[in-house]
Amino acid sequence: MLEVRALDVSYGDAPALWGISMTVGAGELVAVVGPNGAGKTTLINSIARILPSRGGSIWLDGVEVTALPSQAMCELGVALIPEGRRLFVGMTVEENLEMGCYRPAARLHRVQGMERVYEIFPILKERRRQIAGTLSGGQQQMLAVGRALMARPKLLLVDEPSLGLSPLITQQLFEVLKKIHADGMSMLLIEQNVAIALDIAERVYVVEGGRIVSTGKPKDLLATRHIREAYLGEDVEAGSR
Amino acid sequence: MPSASLLAQSILSGILIGGLYTLLGLGLSLSWRFLQVINLAHFAFVFLAAYLSYQLIGVAGLNPGLALLILLPIFFLIGIALQYLLIRFSVNEFASLLVTFGILVLLETLIQWIWSADFRRLETSYGTASIKIGAIYVPIVECLMFFVAVIVAVVTWAWLKFTYVGKALRASAENPIIAGAYGVNHKRLAYLIAGISGATAAIAGVFIALISTLAPAQVVVWLGVVFAAVILGGLGNPLGLLVASLVIGVSEAITMAVTAPTWAPLVSFTLLIAILILRPHKV
Repeated sequence: MLEVRALDVSYGDAPALWGISMTVGAGELVAVVGPNGAGKTTLINSIARILPSRGGSIWLDGVEVTALPSQAMCELGVALIPEGRRLFVGMTVEENLEMGCYRPAARLHRVQGMERVYEIFPILKERRRQIAGTLSGGQQQMLAVGRALMARPKLLLVDEPSLGLSPLITQQLFEVLKKIHADGMSMLLIEQNVAIALDIAERVYVVEGGRIVSTGKPKDLLATRHIREAYLGEDVEAGSR
Repeated sequence: MPSASLLAQSILSGILIGGLYTLLGLGLSLSWRFLQVINLAHFAFVFLAAYLSYQLIGVAGLNPGLALLILLPIFFLIGIALQYLLIRFSVNEFASLLVTFGILVLLETLIQWIWSADFRRLETSYGTASIKIGAIYVPIVECLMFFVAVIVAVVTWAWLKFTYVGKALRASAENPIIAGAYGVNHKRLAYLIAGISGATAAIAGVFIALISTLAPAQVVVWLGVVFAAVILGGLGNPLGLLVASLVIGVSEAITMAVTAPTWAPLVSFTLLIAILILRPHKV
């Protein structure tokens, strides 16, 4: 589905990512975890082509997409749920969903798409005439997910969905993401909440300082001392767990 | 106090001039909101259109409707050409104010060079025609201008509100990067809205030629009041602009009737300053 080869990204002269190589298989849920400022959002924005890269290449279903603009990525079935949601806050819930299916191929399925989103998030149907900026944080994140689903993507890029949400809402949201994945969606998830990311992902990349430092299945990573100490706050020395 | 009929006549002319403010302000409002271009040159486009109408209607003897049909595509293209230049030289919002002011001065000079600084008046049989209803004279061309302004404002509003293109424009104005990631081609839409803004200058120009005396120095006469209407109405909000134009037009007219014409500008700018103090986030 998605393949990233030796991707380099920099902001001006300041390099942010060095030689990132990773894959997301069809129907796979892959998580990228790492501390603040590690370059996770840079990575996902670069894959969505809203941020240019300096070196390396990005491939989608065997086709190189490195030189394409973000609109073309949308046409090819990649939908981004950006960090901080970034809804069209002055527009209504329904209008935000309609922007999700702006691309002509998705527009044909506007009605079914909207029914599906309202089925997953009934609250959005209730609030469909409300201005998006007046929704609660959790509802806004639901709308951001809904907007992405409206694009009928093959690959969902999810950036830090738990940001600013309560643990309960986060848990509900991850149940939904899990379900969307179970229905066959390929997903690349970026998450600071490592415990929850390891819980849902099939494969994980750990990014630190703009480089991939380790990768593997969640249970293998959970077995490593670095992950348990640095991300799960366990004191391995003391032999807890 | 003025008499009741004078007051009624003033209110009517205030409403009708509000139509003109709407036509003048629409292009400004759209390009400001959706292109981040504060297009002062728009006022010069309007007068260029007015002088061309004078030429087409008064000299070549064309029907005003036909003149408008000729001018609409021309000014659509002029709007696009300006947008091309602004993108080509990556002019930002603030710089656009300076650049388009420069273009305004250039065009004013061009108009003066072609048509001289003398007053030009389009003499038509219908230009000053009016019907008398009770004690009030209702000027026909200005009524037509008012109805055209209402129709143009309502259609533009509905277009922005209900169509995919309109929604894409609003989404793009809020967040161009994310709108782009959902397939919105901002550049293409920008040219469209620039063209539409330009075309509205043609509509305003034809009516100004029909109802007013033309002189190059007139170019900036409505600048202040139209700015006030655009800001009061909310950027990119055609219906808001219409209402604001009517409020300003009518309050100006009443001020003129009650005090003296020289006090009229006080109204629009008092309203503008009040709104900037009370609701600055709206601007």
